[in-house]
Amino acid sequence: MSAMILVGAAVLLSQSGEWQRAVQPRAWKFPEDHGSHPSFRTEWWYFTGNLADAAGAKVGYELTFFRQGVQFTPKNAENPWSVRDLFLAHFTVTDVSRGGFRAEDLLSRSGPGLAGARTGQMDVWLLDWSAKMENGVIDLSARKNALELRLQLKPRKPVVLHGANGLSQKGPAAGEASYYASLTDLETHGTISLAQNAAPIAVSGTSWFDHEFSSNMLAKDQVGWDWFGLHLSDGRDLMIYVMRRADGSVEAASSGTLVERAGAARHLVRAEIVLDVLDHRPSSRSGGNYPSRWRIKIPTAGIDIAVTPLLADQELVAAGLPGLVYWEGAVAGEGISAGHKITAEGYVELTGYAGDLRSIMNNDR
Amino acid sequence: MNTVTRSFLRYMFRRRGLTILQFLGIACGVAATVGIVLSARAALTGFSKAIEFLKGKSTHSIERPAGPMDEGMLVRLMRDPAVEAFSPVIERSLRLSNGETARILGIDPFLDKNLRPELAYGVTTDQADENLSDRLAFLTKNNAVLVEAQLAQRLGVSAGGIIHLVKGDFEVVGVFPNPSGEPILLMDIGHAQRLFGMNGRLDRVDLILNDGPGFLSRWENGYHVQTSLKRRETLAHMLRAFRLNLEALSLLALFVGIFLIYNTAMFAVVSRKKDAGILRSLGAHRSEIIAAFLTEILLLGSFGGMAGGVLGYFLSRLLAGEVGGTISNLYFFLHPVPPSWSLWIIVAGTLMGGIAGLLGSLWPLLELVRTDPARALSGRTAERRSGANARTLAAIGAGLILLSLLVFFLSSTQVYAGFAGAFGFLIGASLLTGLALVLISPLLKRTLARLGGLPGKVAAGNIHLNLGRTAVAVAAFMVALSMSIGLSTMIGSFRRSVEQWLENQISGDLYISSMDELDVPVSFYDELRAMKGIEGVDPYRNTLTSFRGTSAYVSAVDAAVLQRFSNFAFLKGGRENWDRVKAGEVIISESFARRFGVKAGDTVTLDAVHGPAELTVAAVFYDYTSEHGILMMDRAHYRRLFEDPTITSLGIFVDPRDPRRGEILVEVARRAGEHDLPVFTRDQLHANALRVFDSAFAVTTSMRVLAIIVAFFGIAGAILTLFIERQREFGIYRALGFSTLQVAGITLMEGVAMGLLSFLMSLGVGTAMAAILIQVINLRSFNWTVFFYPTGAPYLLAAATALLAGLGGSLYPIFKAWRTYPQMQIREE
Repeated sequence: MSAMILVGAAVLLSQSGEWQRAVQPRAWKFPEDHGSHPSFRTEWWYFTGNLADAAGAKVGYELTFFRQGVQFTPKNAENPWSVRDLFLAHFTVTDVSRGGFRAEDLLSRSGPGLAGARTGQMDVWLLDWSAKMENGVIDLSARKNALELRLQLKPRKPVVLHGANGLSQKGPAAGEASYYASLTDLETHGTISLAQNAAPIAVSGTSWFDHEFSSNMLAKDQVGWDWFGLHLSDGRDLMIYVMRRADGSVEAASSGTLVERAGAARHLVRAEIVLDVLDHRPSSRSGGNYPSRWRIKIPTAGIDIAVTPLLADQELVAAGLPGLVYWEGAVAGEGISAGHKITAEGYVELTGYAGDLRSIMNNDR
Repeated sequence: MNTVTRSFLRYMFRRRGLTILQFLGIACGVAATVGIVLSARAALTGFSKAIEFLKGKSTHSIERPAGPMDEGMLVRLMRDPAVEAFSPVIERSLRLSNGETARILGIDPFLDKNLRPELAYGVTTDQADENLSDRLAFLTKNNAVLVEAQLAQRLGVSAGGIIHLVKGDFEVVGVFPNPSGEPILLMDIGHAQRLFGMNGRLDRVDLILNDGPGFLSRWENGYHVQTSLKRRETLAHMLRAFRLNLEALSLLALFVGIFLIYNTAMFAVVSRKKDAGILRSLGAHRSEIIAAFLTEILLLGSFGGMAGGVLGYFLSRLLAGEVGGTISNLYFFLHPVPPSWSLWIIVAGTLMGGIAGLLGSLWPLLELVRTDPARALSGRTAERRSGANARTLAAIGAGLILLSLLVFFLSSTQVYAGFAGAFGFLIGASLLTGLALVLISPLLKRTLARLGGLPGKVAAGNIHLNLGRTAVAVAAFMVALSMSIGLSTMIGSFRRSVEQWLENQISGDLYISSMDELDVPVSFYDELRAMKGIEGVDPYRNTLTSFRGTSAYVSAVDAAVLQRFSNFAFLKGGRENWDRVKAGEVIISESFARRFGVKAGDTVTLDAVHGPAELTVAAVFYDYTSEHGILMMDRAHYRRLFEDPTITSLGIFVDPRDPRRGEILVEVARRAGEHDLPVFTRDQLHANALRVFDSAFAVTTSMRVLAIIVAFFGIAGAILTLFIERQREFGIYRALGFSTLQVAGITLMEGVAMGLLSFLMSLGVGTAMAAILIQVINLRSFNWTVFFYPTGAPYLLAAATALLAGLGGSLYPIFKAWRTYPQMQIREE
């Protein structure tokens, strides 16, 4: 979801013209649609996961690739440096037991093979960071400044289409929407290295994959959003996003999706979601005052969970694109689902609380 | 301050003219040294600052052994585990429309940010919205550039403005600070590729590696990886010969400067000998006298030195530009940082003036201390033993000269030994002056007597009688004149050699090449080859490569074309050498041969794209384009080895008997114009080469002029001192019946004779100096043979200077004698 920040930047970066907008439901085809959709300006492949090593020490990770269109037709088509898209990637590791949060980011144009995303297949890369799906298995790889990740992700549930058959409305007007598909339950194995020359740590757990593409999906008065992706211990997965407006109110188009243990997904409308912020915590880095504890109730599904970050400071200040500041962190929760006591783990994303986001986002010219 | 010292200082005021001359002498000596040292340092500081700035955080860089490389390698590079960060670079220089040259860096701002965050500052600043759109303009507008702040200021442009380059107009999208002050234009790498016709190719990639050896083992073949330190050393090494010559010039300036100060100090002491005697006889203590002398000398030295420091600073600001221009012309683009003012300059100048002054007064002071008051009272009596002294000094001088020659022969390659020998020779020659004066004295007497009768005889006698002083003055002047003759003759011979070489080597009818680092499109070469009436086209390619751990040039030519049309001067053999080049052998420049100790028939190993290549040397050719050495091969062979199709310039040959010759050449020029390529006729190219040559020697020429000026002050001051000291003698001459005119004649003849004697000696010493500069210094620092072509001009200039200095030095005493005519000056003041 943080790619939505880029959508804001995109308004500034490119003059929309030939870019296609998400207006009506589309015909999906998988696994082909895990690949790139270059006729849309903004696209992201978003992986988060809650892992643990053999001793049970918890590790969270985020690896995200963004494609941001700059000009639909590059000026000098014969030269690969001529910019069409910019690619960004964010890579964070939350070392819960040792209390460490590390974040790296990359930014590049396509150039002569430096970054890219294939159509018809999930194969996106930025320098030596990549996400590639082959034979139903996703390989993730990233490395920077002694932080290294190599994971294999296998879906346990089918593809989930959010909103109306994958058309996810973000604002009141037509086109203020994105195409949004997820693999919410990915069995994950691999290694993570946290220090130079240290032996890689074998980890396993569950990951979540979001894939979203659109052009100009944000409404003008939206300042940010809160997004939740939770795995409940009874096998249900819950996604919620709440768009916040400048006047403090919540966008009526905000919604969610509940994925049952067997894989069946149900769209949740705004009225079904009760989200209470229980606490706030200011960031020492950016000064943003982030929500830090929540109570989520979905009465229609019998869900009532209290959610807390595994680590307070999981704020990412991107070096590649200054002004891009957001909180994206591993969380845990406990409560009730369908009458049973459950625990939950997952990721939360909080945008628009710090940095220059608002001025970037309001720059719709 | 005691009475003695005060009396000495009062004397300085009374003899204002002399004091001013002494002051100026010291100031000029110090100024010359400070000026050249500071400007040399400024140029080299600018150099290392620019290198440091451009290096950023990179630890290594990778490039092809010769020529640009395919950008496809980036994908392999980005997956290499040793690579922490990398940034592809296109680095060229380009002239601005105001004539200034700027370095163009084509980079990818995202990749480059990790290596040179301060450069990327302007590209990815986080401050305001406008900067976000600027950032995009940099990427998306083909003519967008970021301009270094000082350059922007000089050009009067800011963001939104337009900057004019020879290749069109460019829009300034931002300004970035550059502490090295080097004029840099930043351009997106894709746009730089378009501008330089390099789509798909890169000049090099700068790297941050976490495992150098591991990386090297994977990229050994076909690439040239070097550490940033090594890269800087390599670049610095290219300047070595140049730096050495600057250092030698500084030394020369110091030498002449100290000689002059010594001269001045000595005169100051000698001329006060009698005062000292009087004071001693009045009861002043020896130590008081010495203290008084030292005070006077130190005051003169320090204040002169101080003024010299300031003067030298201004001089250095003039010279720094010249030095930088020379480096840019000969080696690579460099913008010298003007020397900044520092109080240390004054301190250094003061110390130099003071110390040289002390050194100069040491010998006379010792003599003074040994002299008893009664003898000192009579003034210049200590001169009696000077004949014997002259012989001793001459013996030492002869020894020094022999030693220098020995140094030349024993160490045949060392440049420093060469410089040491050259200075040894100069000092030795100057020590011979005394004896030379003694020996020439009878002849001089006869000559002057014939010219001027009794006054002439008296003048000659005076020179001989005051040997201790005249010899030093003549020696100092002789050294300066010899340096002037030596430098001029060397430069003249060098220029003539280059002209000869140009005639032989650059013999095409037209040359198509850009003065900037813009290549000639290969398609244009093919077009010209197909054109009717053109007999031959030589596609010349010249680029740096690494050889035996250092840099040398590799050139590609069309051997068949050059065999037919050019007239290369080989050390051995002629046109037939090209047959072997066509067969895949190489020819090397004389500088290459000497520098690396390679001769015809040897085999050299060169790193090429597919690994090391063994090449046989067919012949050695004369060359003055690079002291680092050139290895020349046929283009077909070059392309096989380096996969580099680039063409630096084209040489066009048309049959001189072809009746359509003029038309054909016009047509070639027209087509070149369509490609925006400048065309030069052979004569224009020769003139350009000679212009570069002249600018390269601009500093040396300035130094020569300075040496002459310094010497002028020296000799004028010396002569003046001599006369002032002997004012009483004028009275005696008058009492003996000499007319005022005759007294003036004596003075004039003495002055002119001393000047001419200096000149006569410099005839031999200067010619020897020229030989040393050509045969020893040039050969050793640049590894090339300069043929000796002496001309009369340098000698005439020296003669004129000598004459003028002699005249100039005598005029003031004559004026004094004239003014005081009514008085009988038997009594001293």
